[in-house]
Amino acid sequence: MGKANSVLEIPLEISDVSGQKVFSVTNAPTNNTVGELVHEMLGKMDLPRNDANGAPLSYQARLEREGRHLNASERIGDALERGDKLTLQPNIDAGANL
Amino acid sequence: MALMFPFRFAVAMFRDDGASLGTVPVNRDWEPEYEWTRFYYQRKGELALEGNGNASVLPLWEYTLGEPYCRGYRVQIAQPGHRPVAVDFPKTNFRNIASMAASQLVAQNELREGDSYSYMVVAHPAPQEEPRPGGLTVANTSPGVPVQDASLETFMNRAQPSGVIDADDMPVFVRRQVLDEAAALTHAHEGTEVGGILIGKLWRDASAGEIFAEITAQIPAEYTLGTNVKLTFTSQTWAAADAALRLRNRGEVSLGYHHAHPVKFWCKGKEKECTPEKQKSCYLAKDFFSADGEAVMRAAFPRAYSIAIVANDTAVTDLTFSMFGNRKGITQPRGFYVLEENTSAAN
Repeated sequence: MGKANSVLEIPLEISDVSGQKVFSVTNAPTNNTVGELVHEMLGKMDLPRNDANGAPLSYQARLEREGRHLNASERIGDALERGDKLTLQPNIDAGANL
Repeated sequence: MALMFPFRFAVAMFRDDGASLGTVPVNRDWEPEYEWTRFYYQRKGELALEGNGNASVLPLWEYTLGEPYCRGYRVQIAQPGHRPVAVDFPKTNFRNIASMAASQLVAQNELREGDSYSYMVVAHPAPQEEPRPGGLTVANTSPGVPVQDASLETFMNRAQPSGVIDADDMPVFVRRQVLDEAAALTHAHEGTEVGGILIGKLWRDASAGEIFAEITAQIPAEYTLGTNVKLTFTSQTWAAADAALRLRNRGEVSLGYHHAHPVKFWCKGKEKECTPEKQKSCYLAKDFFSADGEAVMRAAFPRAYSIAIVANDTAVTDLTFSMFGNRKGITQPRGFYVLEENTSAAN
């Protein structure tokens, strides 16, 4: 498996934090950014975009192969390989919300 | 496995005298009801643990007024080769939307503060949506419910109930050690919200027609930001918990999370500190789960078998625990069972 620069689209596997929601993507555009991928996948996976107060939730994509969180501005073709597995992990508040 | 909406729902608002105040489109999260419906029938063995057909949200028409007025709605899940399964939900689940609409009407001077209003739920067929060109092509490849076989009776014989057990709830067994560790974590960080990830196993007793959960351990949440009223789980928190779960390598899955409510410190922060008597009956002292807590469940533990535990740290009693889970699409307080022994009752 090599870097995906020479192709226009690559397949990926994307899951939520619990690992119980898993979606395969057949055509992630290599020219798009990770942030664009995450944004579109939140809708496809029916994950919430906002917290309890309506503020936008920030999700980071963790690349399992490298064990790191990707920067939203990274290009898919530069950072990812065919079949890579990503986990979407939110920064989110629990607590009393008093 | 997609959730389809062949109808569009709206809330029609009325003054006390019946005059129309307009209609508000319903834009709500249907996923908890869908998850509840799916898991309800999976527990009973009437729906496959994986590979279900599409689900639809359908109106239930009012008996007397008929279409387009609704008495509720139905979440129906198709099963290839079998009859669909369905759960009906009441229109009172739209009450919050009506309440928010009323607040907006007050802000627009259409209603006065304190005016009475009523609402009705209506539904109309949704227009056919043209598929959007471009975009990602995705397939839902989620795993089925990760169950193993065990005897519910064996677990029951070794457990003590805690809280009010509702027959609609999936039985949840929590090892005492998990509660002890959550208590120790809470006491070690008094005044600050701390928490952890609950892990364990889902068991199926085919003869009892039930799936149940065993919480085997908790992984302290690292890389969090905690205050006395807030606990922020960061992406690093989830990554660390996932690494710990893999390292344990015991076939466990994430089943939810726990966190502390340092209630006694909330009281101290008030201008006029509550009396111990008042604190005893305070709604924050027990079985209180905030909208933020629910948001964590929705974002990180969306399946209907997921649960949350709150450690209630009050000034008037010893530390207590409340459990919350999805019942009929709503996160509600629920009872559970405590396993005193630190070995699985499935062994």
